[in-house]
Amino acid sequence: MKDLLNLEYNKFRLDNGLEVVLYKSTNLPIAAVNIWYKTGSANEKKGKTGFAHLFEHMMFQGSKNVPKEMHFRYIQEAGGTLNGSTSLDRTNYYETVPSNYLEMALWLESDRMGFLLPALTQEKLDNQKDVVMNERRQRYENQPYGLAWEKLFANLYPENHPYHWPTIGWMDDIEKFELKDVSDFFKTYYAPNNASLVIGGDFATDKAIELVNNYFGGIPGNIDIPPVEQSKPALAKPKKIIVPDNIQLPRIYFAWHSDEIFGPDDAKLDILSEILTSSKNSRLHKTLVFDKQIAQDVTSFQYSGKLSGSFIISATAKPGYNLDEIKKNIFETIDNIAQNGITPIELQRARNGVKSTFVYSLQNLDKLVNQINYYNTYLGNPNYFKEDLLRYESVTTDDIKQVVNTYLKNNFIELHFIPKR
Amino acid sequence: MIDRKNAPAPEKNISFKLPSIKQFALNNKLQVSFIRKENLPIVQIGFIISAGSKYDASGKKGLSNLTSMLIDEGAGEFSALELDNEFEMLGSILSVSTDHDSIFISLLTLKENLDRSLYLLSRIITSPQFNNEDFEREQKKAISKIIQYQDEPSYIASIAFDNLLCKNTPYAFPAFGYERTVSAITNNDIINFFAEYFTVDNSLVIAVGDIYEIEIKELLEKHFSGWNKYNSSTYGIFPPKNDSQKLYLINKEGAAQSEIRIGHTAKGRKSPDYFETLIMNSVLGGQFTSRINLNLREKKGFTYGASSSFNYNKEFGLFEVETAVHTQNTGESVAQILKELDNIRNGITYEEFEFAKSSLIKRYPLMFETNSQLAKNMALLYLFGLPDDYFDSYIPRIENSTLGQIIAAANENVHPDKATILIVGDKNSVLRQLKELSLPPAIETDIYGNVIQFLN
Repeated sequence: MKDLLNLEYNKFRLDNGLEVVLYKSTNLPIAAVNIWYKTGSANEKKGKTGFAHLFEHMMFQGSKNVPKEMHFRYIQEAGGTLNGSTSLDRTNYYETVPSNYLEMALWLESDRMGFLLPALTQEKLDNQKDVVMNERRQRYENQPYGLAWEKLFANLYPENHPYHWPTIGWMDDIEKFELKDVSDFFKTYYAPNNASLVIGGDFATDKAIELVNNYFGGIPGNIDIPPVEQSKPALAKPKKIIVPDNIQLPRIYFAWHSDEIFGPDDAKLDILSEILTSSKNSRLHKTLVFDKQIAQDVTSFQYSGKLSGSFIISATAKPGYNLDEIKKNIFETIDNIAQNGITPIELQRARNGVKSTFVYSLQNLDKLVNQINYYNTYLGNPNYFKEDLLRYESVTTDDIKQVVNTYLKNNFIELHFIPKR
Repeated sequence: MIDRKNAPAPEKNISFKLPSIKQFALNNKLQVSFIRKENLPIVQIGFIISAGSKYDASGKKGLSNLTSMLIDEGAGEFSALELDNEFEMLGSILSVSTDHDSIFISLLTLKENLDRSLYLLSRIITSPQFNNEDFEREQKKAISKIIQYQDEPSYIASIAFDNLLCKNTPYAFPAFGYERTVSAITNNDIINFFAEYFTVDNSLVIAVGDIYEIEIKELLEKHFSGWNKYNSSTYGIFPPKNDSQKLYLINKEGAAQSEIRIGHTAKGRKSPDYFETLIMNSVLGGQFTSRINLNLREKKGFTYGASSSFNYNKEFGLFEVETAVHTQNTGESVAQILKELDNIRNGITYEEFEFAKSSLIKRYPLMFETNSQLAKNMALLYLFGLPDDYFDSYIPRIENSTLGQIIAAANENVHPDKATILIVGDKNSVLRQLKELSLPPAIETDIYGNVIQFLN
């Protein structure tokens, strides 16, 4: 089974700094192209939030040789699928096409990496500003509990910390996007030496290398990419926030600072989250949802980025129950693990789940190639699957006790979403 | 130097071989549909049981869904927690879901754990415990879930729209039921529903993965041959006619956006012009680059996205345009959508036609990638009784269609003058905008489709 997780690949770097990984897989006659730019909302500044995400829109608006809407059209006419996503540290773009259309996908990706600005217009920007504002309304403002995430992070991280604002940006900032800022952001961050390109699927390696060289080789790098300032945040005192919303069932959230991505405690915190909330038998689910039936649901996760991690727990109250009772139970569980640790069975259950999930995740080329790029971008090692699984398999019961004591005993943000009167 | 001006032409055509579907029956007549897929040591099992919410008794809507929530809350010799622990220890993932027609049980497992996982699944299918204690817990959970969903404007719009379109049929009700109807369900109702519908001749087993036919047959015989309950459910309902344009409004005071639904009932999945309708809808609203999305999003900036679709229940179909738009653009969005529905009836260009065809044909290999995609395709054949060679004829059916047929499909299947329009949003702001359009007077309803008042 372990050999499944040992992928064969080619990796090289173009003179302009673009990292390229090729992964061959001939299960189906398809090819996946996946590019990560090492820029995300953490590269933004206060007052100009939402730029990284705006690019996820502008990059589909055409480039010098690709008229507006044609990026989508070319891929869809070829029967392909495409999308992009933005997070704290990176923005990714990807398409899967029948393998005979690989060259077209590389042409499209290279045209918008090298030649976006000649096609940028005020009209396109104004249109996509409206679209993004509607995305914000649809996904956050008009969603029950939709603003919870940004309330948590805005309170957990201080104003000048790059993780303080939401990825989509503040509405006030989105309204004020200007063409010059867009073009500056692009010139700074959308450079080949700030990107990692992974191609997966059914192709001839020599041909793929030639195509990558032809299409991406001539795009100049930018030697002047400002690093994101590092600062280890700490919460000087606990904070409680209450937000009235258009909801019927109150929900409570807790957020702590935790370890950064691939830090020594990152995988331990993932396993902790499995043990707390991933199944009917998990500690908090069993207590709150199954036995006492005071909560409708409970979830937790370790959300980690390059600069810092955050550990989040949230639970929705059942009708007639209040958040304080839920809080009391959550902290009893945390204290119990802090003192007594967990059982070997609990650990085994969590690890077995992680192991099979690794295998299941190999089914989809699109997702597999994205995972390769994730490893390559954060660790410089595209074939980190085995080691990553080992990270989880080597977590011990003592480790879980230790991370609870190290992180969940610190100050935290407590957020209540309550029904509007 | 490379030519950046023009899109590179595709290399020579790819070849793709459709995986072959094997059908067989166990000794107890349980039907099995199987595909061998050997690239990973995993197996996906699906159980489709014709026991969806359309079989719910009136006054007990949500019965099928609550039954599906309870079958794995203790089964055979295992309590709810023990059963969950067994699956977790194997790293096997079990999930159960319900729609109007069927209950779907899906199991994903490593091949090495298939035998044990099938044993656990057989307990669930044949001998759930249905203890009172578990019933009460899950009933409360189902009710709270409904309360939670009712805070979501898109959910309200969807269930209210189904209700308005499918009046007087079982498809008018959400599979989850309503607070009131789920509260009326007793554990005895669950036990009876299970006894009536969870039968051999009401079920299909789907298996996809790294295993030979003879092995999977042996394992299924081992775990399911003792199952000998028989009773097949039949159903026949007439699709309701939506024969005139209607305008409904559900008030959400101060909403940042309006949820819009526009559509009507449509022909069933087996109608002879299914493929022509599919191609036509791809031009109209089935893709990002379709007319409706390009207009409302890329031209006007009213929305994050807008689409149209033909959705099929077993008995008939629904044509539906859906979007969420900034409150101030609600009126114009409705007008633009109705205009697009008119326009598609008046013409489709040859270019649009070729584009849609190309997109649907070339997407074909991507429809058969993961085990769960394969399982879904097999389920499709079963649910709608499609011919065995359906997937073989897929590409030729699209290739051989003509532009005239596609335009005919638009006229046959898209009817703006008979469409029901539903808006979930801020009443005062929306009404003001709707008055500018020549629409029928608005009717305000609650989320159950009950009339509150006629507005003018």
